[in-house]
Amino acid sequence: MATYKAPLRDMRFVLYELHDGAALSSLPGLEDMTPELFDPVLEEAAKVCEEVLFPLNRSGDEEGCQFENGVVRTPKGFIEAYKTFREGGWTSITADPAYGGQGIPNIVNVLITEMICSANLSFGLYPGLTQGACKALVAHGSDELKERYMPKLVEGTWSGTMCLTEPHCGTDLGLCRTKAVPNDDGTYRLSGTKIFISAGEHDLTENIIHFVLARLPDAPPGIKGISLFLVPKFLPNADGTPGKRNGVSCGAIEHKMGIKASATCVLNFDEATAWLVGSPHKGMRSMFTMMNEERLAVGLQGLGLAEVSYQGAVAYARERLQGRSLSGAKYPDKPADPIIVHPDVRRMLLSMRAAAEGCRALGAWVGQAVDIAAHTDDPKAKQEAEDFVALMTPIVKALFTDYGFETANHGVQVMGGHGYIREHGMEQYVRDARIAQVYEGTNGVQALDLVGRKLGAHMGRNLRSFFHPVAEFIQSRSDNPALSRYVDPLTKAFVRLQQATGQIAKVGLKRPEEAGAAATEYLRLFGLVALAYQWARMAEVSLKKLEEKTGEDDFYRAKLATGAFFMDRVLPQTGALFSSIMAGGSTMIEFPEAAF
Amino acid sequence: MAEIAKVAVIGAGVMGAGIAAHVANAGVPVLLLDIVPKGADNRNAIAEGAIAKMQKADPAPFMSKAAARLVTPGNTEDDLAKLADCDWIIEAVVEKLDVKQALYRRIDAVRKAGSVVSSNTSTIPLAALTKGLGETFARDFLITHFFNPPRYMRLLEIVTSPQTRPDALEAVERFADFKLGKSVVHCKDRPGFIGNRLGVYWLQTAVVEAFDLGLEVEEADAVMGKPMGFPKTGVFGLLDLVGLDLMPHIHASMTAALPKNDPYQQAVRDLPLIDRMLAEGYTGRKGKGGFYRLNRDGGAKVKETLSLKTGEYRPQQKADLDIPKDIKAQLASDTKAGRYAWAVMARTLSYAAMLVPEVADDIASVDEAMRLGYAWKQGPFEMIDRLGTEWFVARLEKDGLPVPELLRTAAGRPFYRVENGRRQMLGPDGAYHDIVRPDGVLLLEDIKRTREPLLKNGSAALWDIGDGVACFEFTSKLNTIDADIMALLAKATKLVARDFKAMVIYNEGTAFSAGANLGLALFAVNIAAWPILEQMITEGQAVYKGLKYAPFPVVGAPSGLALGGGCEILLHCDALQAHAESYIGLVECGVGLIPAWGGCKEMLHRWSTLGKLPKGPMPAVAKVFEMISTATVAKSAAEAKELLFLKPNDGITMNRYRLLADAKAKALELARDYVPPQEPEFVLPGESAAVAMGLAAESFHRRGLATKHDLVVSGTLAEVLSGGDTDVTRTLRESDVLALEFSRFQKLLHHPDTLARIEHVLETGKPLRN
Repeated sequence: MATYKAPLRDMRFVLYELHDGAALSSLPGLEDMTPELFDPVLEEAAKVCEEVLFPLNRSGDEEGCQFENGVVRTPKGFIEAYKTFREGGWTSITADPAYGGQGIPNIVNVLITEMICSANLSFGLYPGLTQGACKALVAHGSDELKERYMPKLVEGTWSGTMCLTEPHCGTDLGLCRTKAVPNDDGTYRLSGTKIFISAGEHDLTENIIHFVLARLPDAPPGIKGISLFLVPKFLPNADGTPGKRNGVSCGAIEHKMGIKASATCVLNFDEATAWLVGSPHKGMRSMFTMMNEERLAVGLQGLGLAEVSYQGAVAYARERLQGRSLSGAKYPDKPADPIIVHPDVRRMLLSMRAAAEGCRALGAWVGQAVDIAAHTDDPKAKQEAEDFVALMTPIVKALFTDYGFETANHGVQVMGGHGYIREHGMEQYVRDARIAQVYEGTNGVQALDLVGRKLGAHMGRNLRSFFHPVAEFIQSRSDNPALSRYVDPLTKAFVRLQQATGQIAKVGLKRPEEAGAAATEYLRLFGLVALAYQWARMAEVSLKKLEEKTGEDDFYRAKLATGAFFMDRVLPQTGALFSSIMAGGSTMIEFPEAAF
Repeated sequence: MAEIAKVAVIGAGVMGAGIAAHVANAGVPVLLLDIVPKGADNRNAIAEGAIAKMQKADPAPFMSKAAARLVTPGNTEDDLAKLADCDWIIEAVVEKLDVKQALYRRIDAVRKAGSVVSSNTSTIPLAALTKGLGETFARDFLITHFFNPPRYMRLLEIVTSPQTRPDALEAVERFADFKLGKSVVHCKDRPGFIGNRLGVYWLQTAVVEAFDLGLEVEEADAVMGKPMGFPKTGVFGLLDLVGLDLMPHIHASMTAALPKNDPYQQAVRDLPLIDRMLAEGYTGRKGKGGFYRLNRDGGAKVKETLSLKTGEYRPQQKADLDIPKDIKAQLASDTKAGRYAWAVMARTLSYAAMLVPEVADDIASVDEAMRLGYAWKQGPFEMIDRLGTEWFVARLEKDGLPVPELLRTAAGRPFYRVENGRRQMLGPDGAYHDIVRPDGVLLLEDIKRTREPLLKNGSAALWDIGDGVACFEFTSKLNTIDADIMALLAKATKLVARDFKAMVIYNEGTAFSAGANLGLALFAVNIAAWPILEQMITEGQAVYKGLKYAPFPVVGAPSGLALGGGCEILLHCDALQAHAESYIGLVECGVGLIPAWGGCKEMLHRWSTLGKLPKGPMPAVAKVFEMISTATVAKSAAEAKELLFLKPNDGITMNRYRLLADAKAKALELARDYVPPQEPEFVLPGESAAVAMGLAAESFHRRGLATKHDLVVSGTLAEVLSGGDTDVTRTLRESDVLALEFSRFQKLLHHPDTLARIEHVLETGKPLRN
């Protein structure tokens, strides 16, 4: 039975106790960003998510979006919910104050995004894409475009999309065929078909602004010939109201496994009036501004689903009475013990909890680096933060979404047949989670990004931003017996990661396919070590807090116990991953194609 | 005839002066004469001016200051009588037959009997030069054609007449081979000989085709450069270098001398843009600029290129071409780059095939001439073999281009083959003939064809080179030193001790070793693999020390760059036999590090025992500090001796091909009654000296000569060289100095500014001055 309470206590732990979010206000431009501001924002977000979005999650899934004559209708209640959401200021939460935004730091937004994804992933996609579109427009658009579109996008009366995929062109965007031809007035006429466009058409906003990849007539072939264009559904009037309908229409919506309340559209552009964003042929660069941000956000979708699935499973496991504990009845007064007494049920619940809490800590660490990169005036710190975000983006995307799916599956398993039927909402999480492993670059592509681009860049400089803090942590805590329960396993896994990294760098240089063959296992190994580092740090903080007698012993003890579970029962997977990586890829590379 | 003990060069232009400098580099006194300039006070002004200019030039024509002192300047009016002392008289005056002949008459009047006279002409036939000068002169005369710059270009083309005395030829050839280090290629008395006949044809064809096929200068040079195995200047860059004004003269003399149906005639064509450039003084680097120029208008320096399409200068652009790595794929690809490459190379390679036997007796001479005279990685026949003669002929036929006789003779067979371990070449007679190396030449390349290595891994190999000597070869990229090399060295040390008398460390790469593999080290730093890095240092120290005290002699035989770790291994050898063109140095400070494989230790020991310095521990420490902190690199083996990278008894070999044989001989000589060296002891001045060196570095910093991180690095170096917390009353052992190297290297390796330096040099190839 699905249930959701925003994990505010754990979020505050991550934000203040683990990552020192209070220190953000020392960065230029973030002077006003203090816990006094963050706390009410998080509480308000929790309220909207629990009370407005979560109740629409299952009905939205049942009803789905409706398509008729080019018009898309979102499920019942979405329009009202969006209105509440927008009026509460949630569409403008991270946007630049220059355009009416609130400029909330990324580390806080990471937590809010998680809540939205837990409560109603389909709903979250509508405003979520607008955030990404705003980033691309601010970074690359002309002042005129920014002035015309940003305020509306920020206040949420208009929404945004990212139009990349075409029927024959997915991961390889160099194959893009959509064309843009210059008009005399500096605008362009854009024609072509885009598919899989989330929020491409809907009834939540008065206008939809599409960000479209297309080719100019003189474009060089391949990826170097792609430009980014802005195409509004309605051409804005001089007074800023939506005017004439532009040449873009929705041809169909997809019928899909999950996120059914999110409209996934086929968009037809027919000589639509378009504006160039950024330089000609440099569209991929502009798009990647948006995409990197999106990849981190998709990671948070996995985290959100892991959390909500865990909550549902725990509630059920406490109530469901079946059989007796293996060591004798624990609740002799009841007809049977609740299933939570069983080690195997606990294994699943703790796996889910360790995944959610670990990812929350790691996601916030990366979110903090995004803030530092954006605001610091120290070039060294900026470079380090940028290196770190670049390195961790594919890991957050793939690791978190894999965990989202694995955890949602555990959620079904804990509930048995009741998890499998639609009534309790647990199977929806499995279906919703599945897409996050696929879009914004499949998790296989993320792994290739990690080994192919991020590992070798600048002779491995990106790696320094992770390996040095971890090595330093291990070394400085090596003589702390209270922590050794956490630091020793971390050390062991870290050494495996170092060796695997060296191995991939070495063989990958000579035979790139070897690196490709190791990529997915390597990403998981890296992710596990990153989680272990977060768990060791969380344990250190918790031990200290227990000493300080803050009166929250239960919380910290549970933290330590979950961390211990992670170290004992999850982290050893690094041994198997390490063995796989070191075995090399010849079994795959040399397998005859005809034999498949 | 007797050995050539004294030489004269007449004509102190670029070539004459360069030849004189190089004779001096061989340790042979040389007279350099030129005319007396009109109305000059100093009658030797031209020759003296040329010597002075060469002492400042870079790349340096002289290998050492001592060499410069061996050149005696003079003039052709007052000093001609001095030719009577000279065994070889080289004429390098203006390319005018009457001027040369008049000079020969005056030379002939004073020179001693049995002396040899040669001309450095590149265009005038030998028959014309000696005509009417009498039989004795003709018997003592030949053409010796050097390439520019004479010190660095290893080709010497020699042309003789039927009258030339065989012993005169032999004397010059021996001198050129052993003393000047040249590879002699015999040419027939035909215009342009081999190198320029083919080289200028190639250049001209490449220029004309660039115009015809609509390429820009950057595009043509991107194709006709590195991907083809040619120098990266390409063709237009090379023309800028040699001077555009030279070309009309060469063309005039070549077209006049060659038959009407020679392809050269068709290749030469008037190009209005080049005529205009010459008229406006754009003759290349020596003029206002050429196809490339540096535009300083408006303060900033802007690199510009002359557009072949518009005829105007515009900012330099990077060529946006898709060029495959493989030569055959390049010539076969139907792209702008591919069509251009084929148009130029089809003609050039065909023309090469026409030159045998007209100009050269065999194909190997043509290949050698182009490799050593034009710095091509491969000669034309080697390139044809890469394409396959069958493929090449078929493509020529398909395009309606003439197929030279020699290619018909090949009939699909390769020009070179290996038969029973011997390299053979195809002759014009259609048969294969062994390629015979000159007497005493020993090449690893040849040995490798006949046997398997004794030991081998991904970065090194050990070879049996006969007579109980083993050769350790680096095979890694740029011969950088990594863990594999250390591991194989350790193994080799054991194996040689058991089965051999001596070991030579030698390879045939362009660089002996560029030093430690910094890419691997930086990666290890980035992933915080500190134990691996510690092991890298301690293992290197142990392996090098193992070499030094091994029960057999080790001779290092460098050629080209030997830097950092590549220098340190040489410092641990018992002796060196260095190629004259060896560039040795401890350059670690440039990347923010210090030598830690015993380099500091060995240099301290050398300067304190062999350096001619004032007494006490400080002078040696200061000298080594100066050398290492400024990353001094010796610009020749001779200079390396002055810097004690070579010891006084170490040998220098002028001819690259004779290096291994000389090193082997040295190793065998040492192997008689070999006793490993005694471990040295060190008395070092301690902290006060470190402070003094730190103050010196500070003053450099204040004058803007040292950066902030230079101070950190040199300060750390000073700690090592001064012996840490020792003082003059104590004696340190090798292991003490090695421990200092280890700990201070570690410290620097953790420094972010050092890491930034390493990353920058690896990514850009340029040092970072942070």
